[in-house]
Amino acid sequence: MARIVIDQVRKSYGALHVLKDFSLDIADGEFVVLVGPSGCGKSTMLKILAGLEEASGGTIRIGGRDVTDLAPGDRDIAMVFQNYALYPHLTVAANMGFGLKMRGTPADVITRRVQEAARILDVEHLLERRPRQLSGGQRQRVALGRAIVREPAAFLMDEPLSNLDAKLRVHMRAEIGALHQRLGVTTIYVTHDQIEAMTMANRIVIMKDGEIQQIADPETMFERPANLFVAGFIGSPGMNFLSARAQGGTTRLFGEAVPVPPGADGDVTIGLRPEHIEAGPGAVTFMARPSLVESLGSEKYIYFEAPDDNRPPGFLKQSEEDQRGSRLIARLVNAGPVRIGENVTLSFDPARLHVFDPATGKAIR
Amino acid sequence: MRQSLPARLFLYASVVLTCAVLIFPIYWLVVTALSQPDQLRQLPPKFWPDEPRWSVFGKILEERPIFLWLGNSALAALGAVTISMVVSVLAGYSLSRFRVRGGQSLGLFILTAKMLPATLLVIPLFGIFRMTGLIGSMWSIILAHATLIIPFTTWMLKGYFDTIPRELEQAAMVDGCSPLGALFRVILPVSAPGLAATALYGFVLSWSDYAYARTFLTNAQGNWTANLGITTMKGEYISNWADISAASILVALPILVVYLFLERYLVGGLTAGSDK
Ligand SMILES: Nc1ncnc2c1ncn2[C@@H]1O[C@H](COP(=O)(O)OP(=O)(O)OP(=O)(O)O)[C@@H](O)[C@H]1O
Ligand SMILES: [Mg+2]
Repeated sequence: MARIVIDQVRKSYGALHVLKDFSLDIADGEFVVLVGPSGCGKSTMLKILAGLEEASGGTIRIGGRDVTDLAPGDRDIAMVFQNYALYPHLTVAANMGFGLKMRGTPADVITRRVQEAARILDVEHLLERRPRQLSGGQRQRVALGRAIVREPAAFLMDEPLSNLDAKLRVHMRAEIGALHQRLGVTTIYVTHDQIEAMTMANRIVIMKDGEIQQIADPETMFERPANLFVAGFIGSPGMNFLSARAQGGTTRLFGEAVPVPPGADGDVTIGLRPEHIEAGPGAVTFMARPSLVESLGSEKYIYFEAPDDNRPPGFLKQSEEDQRGSRLIARLVNAGPVRIGENVTLSFDPARLHVFDPATGKAIR
Repeated sequence: MRQSLPARLFLYASVVLTCAVLIFPIYWLVVTALSQPDQLRQLPPKFWPDEPRWSVFGKILEERPIFLWLGNSALAALGAVTISMVVSVLAGYSLSRFRVRGGQSLGLFILTAKMLPATLLVIPLFGIFRMTGLIGSMWSIILAHATLIIPFTTWMLKGYFDTIPRELEQAAMVDGCSPLGALFRVILPVSAPGLAATALYGFVLSWSDYAYARTFLTNAQGNWTANLGITTMKGEYISNWADISAASILVALPILVVYLFLERYLVGGLTAGSDK
């Protein structure tokens, strides 16, 4: 177990800057998730931590020891790969014991620790098989087992669940969580799935283009996103964005005067989460004509056009998961019947609004 | 996949035809070996001799030092393959894994070397071996064959290593291996089928050589390889084709044995299951 301090790590491939001044202080036993879109440098950061990739600058300390120039095997870390990377020519038991064997651990100790890890992960009956005789979920467990038998100072996991089907993924997510509870080993987990990040992390690090956007616990990430990128990244369906003009602490949304933080002046981008729009009248009430209604049983997603004065800013790329285009989404729970083309009354609490500077993308509070 | 009857008939017919074309020369070799020398040129040809002359094998083994030749061929092939495998495992692995300045052009250079006909190198090699006093020794043929084999095996192995996920040696390094340790403990065991196929290929290249042996070993009778030995059986005025065919069969057998020995590695899909 160990504290990990990453200090101003940079990585460039020629003129391509893949990581820019990455600094992060991870407490002993913490579960930190690096999340961000594809190509933002998550795997690169993890490989630098593991020593598989050399940083162009900066230092890394694990458990108070400067490991920046140490070989991967000397860093006392274990890594779980996206494709598991089990040794195909070795049995499951030999796979799990390989790291200990390389460190000269006596055979009886290896056997005992492999047995123990196998019991924790429920793969005892598979120990004599080879990786190709295992299912995807079993391989995943063996890969985790290979990491935990070493009893390392930290676990590094690079999208370990992305090769599993949706149901198994949810299951393994809970299992990794439980494993972390049980062992308390500092864990750095990479994913591009914000739901994995939100459910598993003690702290989330959101990255974009090699830069940290925000470091916060899941709740803060959701409640107080630092900028437009984070606001749009976290949450499903993603946050609605509206453009407006603020003056003297108020702005107009849906034709109504709405209070905004005093720092907001001139053009602003307003964020409003779909789940913060409610059916029926409230603090700020407006009418909407749904152009699409998706019902998921207990909840409904309602798509409607934003008023002309508040058209979403064009520069914002909307969430890829939904087809809202320039429309807004409301997520209504236990609402009455809603029909396409028939006006409904909706409302929101202005305290739930997020206000951003459209030029810098930074949150205005 | 289900096919219509005509399609299947066509498929089987092609298979039979292909096999026939491939096997006929071998069949004819056997027929020639077993026929009386004076029956060889008769018309119409006989497709199986009336009295197969099985004694021909015993006769040529007595008359010619076939086992010595086979031993020399084996020594040359084993030596050349050993050198080639050591060199090309390291070279192929570096070409596959490391991006170094000039690595690309080096790889292309090796590829070009592969395209040159082997005979092109006979004269320069002769010069080199003359200077170093290796003409006539087994080393000349071992080294010459290695130069022939290495470009091929390096590229074959590079291609094979390219199919092995990098994460495998990264996992090994996190587990405490040095880069070379990862190569020997993980990559090579996983590559067993590729190594076997490559070694077999090199073995066949060396075994089937004639030009090098003819140039470097002609004056050292004790070091004649099988191919060189057989051609000396072809006299200037009389050639006993039955004997030559019988000797050729004996020389082809070891390749068959090596193939059977390596077959289980060649077929194995050992990398399956390392990842998803
Ligand atoms: N060896 C390399 N040479 C040049 N560029 C590289 C190299 N490795 C990675 N990159 C670049 O670095 C950037 C970050 O890559 P990285 O693999 O860290 O992304 P990622 O965040 O893990 O993405 P994903 O979610 O797709 O795995 C990418 O733009 C990639 O093209
Ligand atoms: Mg990645």
